[in-house]
Amino acid sequence: MKQRLPLFSSLPGIASAGWLFALVGCHTSNDDIAAWQYVCGDEAPLPTEDVPAGTGQRCGEADSAAGLLPPEPYVGDGRGWPPANPPEACILKASRVTPPDGQVLPEPLLKTKEEEKTVLDTVRIQTALDTCELTKLVADGDNNAFLASRLAINGGTCDVDATRPGACVTCDGGKPCGKRLWIDKGVTLFMSRNTDLFQRTGNCGALGVNDSSACWEFLNIRGAKPELIGEGTIDGQGGEPGVGKDYSWWQASYALRAVNGSIGQPNMINLEKGTRQFVLYRLTLHNSAKFHVKLTSSPMDGIGPGVCDNKADRGKGFIVWGITLLTPSKWFNSAGYQLTPSWARNTDGVDPGTTDIAYCGTIACNVISTGDDQIAVKGGHWVENLSIAHNAFGTGHGMSIGSETYGSHYDAITMVTHRGVQKMDVWDLTIDADSRLVGHEAHAADFNGIRIKSDESRGGVVDQITYTDVCLRDMVNGILISTAYNPLFAGQAYPDFGVLKFKNVRGVNCHALSPSTITMEGFNATLRPDITLDNVQFDNINPTLSVASEYAAIHLGPGAVNFGDNLTRFPGVTVEDNRDGTVAPRECKFPTLPTQHAPDGWLH
Amino acid sequence: MNMRALTIAALLGSFVAAGGLVTSCVDLQKIPGDCQVNAAIACGMSAVLAGDKTATVSDEDLGLVGYSCTGELRPDDDGHFVQGVPFGSICGDMTPVPPDGQGPPTTRDYCCTAPDAQANCVLNRNRTEACPEGYAYQCWGPNRPEVNNPAVTCGNGLREGDYVNYCCQHAPRPTGCTQAKGATTCMGGLIGWVCPTTPVEFRPRGEDFGANESRADYYYFVCDVPTRAPNGRDNVYCCFSPSPVLPGGSCTYSPGSANADNGIACATGKFAFACYGRDRPDEDYFPRISCKDSGIAGTSDTGYAATLYCCDYVAPGQGSGAGTDPNE
Repeated sequence: MKQRLPLFSSLPGIASAGWLFALVGCHTSNDDIAAWQYVCGDEAPLPTEDVPAGTGQRCGEADSAAGLLPPEPYVGDGRGWPPANPPEACILKASRVTPPDGQVLPEPLLKTKEEEKTVLDTVRIQTALDTCELTKLVADGDNNAFLASRLAINGGTCDVDATRPGACVTCDGGKPCGKRLWIDKGVTLFMSRNTDLFQRTGNCGALGVNDSSACWEFLNIRGAKPELIGEGTIDGQGGEPGVGKDYSWWQASYALRAVNGSIGQPNMINLEKGTRQFVLYRLTLHNSAKFHVKLTSSPMDGIGPGVCDNKADRGKGFIVWGITLLTPSKWFNSAGYQLTPSWARNTDGVDPGTTDIAYCGTIACNVISTGDDQIAVKGGHWVENLSIAHNAFGTGHGMSIGSETYGSHYDAITMVTHRGVQKMDVWDLTIDADSRLVGHEAHAADFNGIRIKSDESRGGVVDQITYTDVCLRDMVNGILISTAYNPLFAGQAYPDFGVLKFKNVRGVNCHALSPSTITMEGFNATLRPDITLDNVQFDNINPTLSVASEYAAIHLGPGAVNFGDNLTRFPGVTVEDNRDGTVAPRECKFPTLPTQHAPDGWLH
Repeated sequence: MNMRALTIAALLGSFVAAGGLVTSCVDLQKIPGDCQVNAAIACGMSAVLAGDKTATVSDEDLGLVGYSCTGELRPDDDGHFVQGVPFGSICGDMTPVPPDGQGPPTTRDYCCTAPDAQANCVLNRNRTEACPEGYAYQCWGPNRPEVNNPAVTCGNGLREGDYVNYCCQHAPRPTGCTQAKGATTCMGGLIGWVCPTTPVEFRPRGEDFGANESRADYYYFVCDVPTRAPNGRDNVYCCFSPSPVLPGGSCTYSPGSANADNGIACATGKFAFACYGRDRPDEDYFPRISCKDSGIAGTSDTGYAATLYCCDYVAPGQGSGAGTDPNE
């Protein structure tokens, strides 16, 4: 029997109480609810803080030294930050001014396609990207904005090397591989609001049409060693009305929510099949029309044995490090609509495995608050050897795997077929639903901590996954392992979840009106995940009413699990109980996360 | 164990436990027949399994029990509701198809969930006609029948309030339509499908996308009157996924209404709709439907009096229909 507890749970205060969120403090002395334990306050540093290197306090530095993470790009890999400036011809000066809150960057409706060359910055940026190894976007006096439609960063096509099958050593006939786009501090690259410039199938920008491939993407990344770096900002303007339209990308998407449909909008950063050794470093990402980062990349050395045996190697395929992702980034758009995370539908943060394989990667020291999954490991393509460390999440639908997990990749060199999502380690993660208002449209199911989701239409292998040192605040679904993500869908691609380990995980409450729920469901009697819970504790949980499970082999301990009693009451669940009760709950501290600037007079 | 006795006992037990809040889907007195446990039925071999399909799985692993039944009674006629939550057995009908020339078998074999492991589903005989290829279950929430009984496979569910209706059968579902990328002449924005016409006339369904598309993007289809493929056996459809019909909209997609018996016969490439009120399809199916005619009186697919329309899909760039912005 699959349980429905998560769907019936009430919203945390931030969603259901709206203004109450702004007004209510921590009720540590309320007699009516004195039995509850509250953990409020913001006490931890942001992982993106620019702490001097060599102090041991910089995010990820200690792990890199211990061989648990690859070196931080530039700061730790010997290249130094910032990079040296490129030649003058490769430094582009802004010719527009970033508008203040409540206004939108002016953009005329183009009368001819030819006009794009002169009205937008697309052509001059693309020309530089095509010719320069490093293109830098800089401010020019008060001018600090660029406006562009589709751009491509092509690191280069790998030369075939008969002596090293699958490896990439040189590109484009013996040249060094790599292209970089550097957006300088204080500079914003805006995506054009002209839907015609992204037209792919004819449905791009059309209202009410279910066509997820209707548009071309904004920044297309391909080839070997492409990099997007800098302390500037990329803004997709997803909440602003389109040019010549009275609705935004997000409004068009929201109109399809009732049918679970997906309108085609441009994704902000789209890595194309065959990309290798991609780096996304330090940038701030705002307001993508759809997903922010569709991530597919693999090492220059290929995917063979020995390429990615150690965690320190997990950077050879791709690195996302030190980015700040905040969507929406404003309280109101220029038309006066309030923008909330739940309004920004389908705005996933970072999605490895969306387009093709994602192998040997690190996502570290990032801050992500958005309207959909903060990270969604999309196992529709094979994903393996992935480290997700030292990240701080605000609003979003969770640290997710799935719902597609059917990925299959045949390696012609080793003649091995790789499947699903395997060898993924998440550690030092905070998810704080209290970081800002999410909007009254939010569903209870939108407040997820750790989520592994699939169903029989899109299932496959999810194996050797660990979650360590995780703090969750005010989640409706603290842990959600679901094999019936959408029970309407039929198929024979059954979810096959394997070894899943949780250690030092704690869920706390500050504003929530109900404790978290825990769901641990395998598919059926023959497809049961092997779940280890070691010091996994959720404050205020009701172990009888807030826990659901079926078809799972569960191992408890040695650390405490405060919802672990009597789990064998569920069908198909076996329990090995090794709890000794000696381990205290993880101490949880949450950083103050960036939010959109509230209008004057508003509390937050 | 006598299955009828088991069923009645289960019903009585539930009735007592629920304090009377029990309703039964069917009147067991009207279903003739008898079911007996039959250990000779190898249910472990019947399962449609994922992963290693050659792995040996015992009946015990799956928790399935074999039954043989006479008459029309099935072991899963034990379904009942407790405070709105369905409980019941789920059975795969394992009866072999008789050779040509032989009549229907006098007994039928089933592999069922054990009596003490009922699912949150009930056999729904009221929807038998909706499942010509199998049998109907109604389940609560996220429960699909094949999770509890891998001897059945089911199609996409259809929501009905808190419940989901499924059509199920033993063994994998037959191959239906195939998406035809580039093989059809569907205009921009329409998705082409090639569908077999035997043993039944298949129509495109969301599940036909298989695992290569996210079907959340394409779940609901509206399809034109098909053309016959060059092989003479298959139908070719052009379909789109509409936005939801506006609140108060009264037009429904009604492909079956467009036939000569109804006084209307939509030509190939046209989209057939039935409207119960004053709306027109181009008002309800924003923004890409255009209906030039005023419609004629007839009967909808569901048998109600309606105004029937044959309409055109308006390709992108050719202007829109008469619809309005659903956000307004």
